[in-house]
Amino acid sequence: MLALDIRNLNKKYPNFQLKDVSFQLEKGYIMGFIGANGAGKTTTIKSILKMIHIDSGEVRILGKDIAEHEIELKQEIGCAFGGLDFYTRNKMKTLTDVIKKFYKNWDDETYYNYLRRFKLDENKKIAELSTGMKVKYSLALALSHGAKLLVLDEPTSGLDPVARDDLLDIFQELVVDGEISILFSTHITSDLEKCADFITFIDNGQIIDSSEKNEFMESYRLLSGSESQLHQVKEQLISYKTNSFGFTGLIHTRDFDPSSDVRATTPSLEEIMIYYAKKEDIYV
Amino acid sequence: MYNLVMKDLKLGVNPMFFVLPLLMGALMLVPGWLYFLVPLYFCWITIPNTFAGFRTQNDLMFTSMMPVTKKDIVKARITVIVILELLHIVIAMIYGMITIRLYPNLTYYFFAPHMGFWGLCFVMLAIFNLIFISMYYKTAYKYGGATTASITGAMLFAGIAQWLGIENSYVTDIFNGTGADNTALQISILLAGIVIFFAITMISYRVAVKRFLKVEIL
Repeated sequence: MLALDIRNLNKKYPNFQLKDVSFQLEKGYIMGFIGANGAGKTTTIKSILKMIHIDSGEVRILGKDIAEHEIELKQEIGCAFGGLDFYTRNKMKTLTDVIKKFYKNWDDETYYNYLRRFKLDENKKIAELSTGMKVKYSLALALSHGAKLLVLDEPTSGLDPVARDDLLDIFQELVVDGEISILFSTHITSDLEKCADFITFIDNGQIIDSSEKNEFMESYRLLSGSESQLHQVKEQLISYKTNSFGFTGLIHTRDFDPSSDVRATTPSLEEIMIYYAKKEDIYV
Repeated sequence: MYNLVMKDLKLGVNPMFFVLPLLMGALMLVPGWLYFLVPLYFCWITIPNTFAGFRTQNDLMFTSMMPVTKKDIVKARITVIVILELLHIVIAMIYGMITIRLYPNLTYYFFAPHMGFWGLCFVMLAIFNLIFISMYYKTAYKYGGATTASITGAMLFAGIAQWLGIENSYVTDIFNGTGADNTALQISILLAGIVIFFAITMISYRVAVKRFLKVEIL
């Protein structure tokens, strides 16, 4: 079953456009949603949650169309947008008491278990929480109302390496039973290398690729060689950088002739992102 | 809907604004004052402060994440406004009754706090709601322009009504003269005011929903 099924999402702004965004997330997996700042990650996520109006397209969550079953589905979605920035002068306890009334599947026991596990003191004010604790609090809220799909917008940005690693471990534990699925956007690609099952890469409002992580990385090759070698492959490269030693450039594996003598390695997610961003610069 | 109203009462509205009606209502005890000013304090103080609070606390984003419809978000917010308005007006009415008994032989230059006058106050708040609610929900966060316009509307109504009450002998007679002793007349003016208040607030709700559905939550 698909936890999330997005098809042909279109949204036009004066200076930016989401073009035919489509991707699918299988239930019980973690999908990393990567892209540079301004690539359209948050816009896509907000379209999924019906917070902004889409011009066309279809969003199905757990098999149901969100346009028709919005309220019902929001009971099963947990979301977090970066830092928690509402009612920050209130205690977590006060906020939770208000929030829990909205969810019919709220479970106090689960909630307190997560508070203990995340070492959160519910008498603290939101403003007193560190960035990592805010994310954990959002997660505790989402999990206590029995969310089946977690939609997290940059949950790891602003966290230190220890907190990030801790959070990623939690993500992996959550999906073990196959009940919960996670879509999280980030620009910190090392997070995804650690825990994502699938990668969806968005660039300038368009989905470049959405596939299994290793498959995704294997579909690209990072070439490096001398300037004379550059001319052999220049046409096929997505983009390249030159330096005094020669060049490095990104290429689709299918466009690369393995018998050539250009040195090829598997790029990291970060390198893929960077070379795609460079490609845009060329056209500008 | 109920949960959203409770959310606003617990988190959104500062407790001070539940006490304010008691304090501002006490101004009704000033003998022979321009009593239209009393419910206007709600528009001057409570509305801008509360809506500034909603904006700084990022209430719109918070609410949108809950499993609620946009229609209910508007309905709940208007309910909260109406609750606060009723609180102001009912408490002021009680103070008004005390005033009438406290100074039985006062000559009123402005409207005396009889029931008919409260009918006018309901109409004034109806005008306020119509302008404020419909303008505010164009963006659901910009409250400044909506506050200024709606206060201007409400004060214009109060000004004209009071001016008529002083200049026009017929109106003077209804509210301060012999009409004041005609309980049936006074009650019917009050009831008419209440009906207008709820009818116009319902209209503003419909306009607000229509506008809010187009708002993008960023």
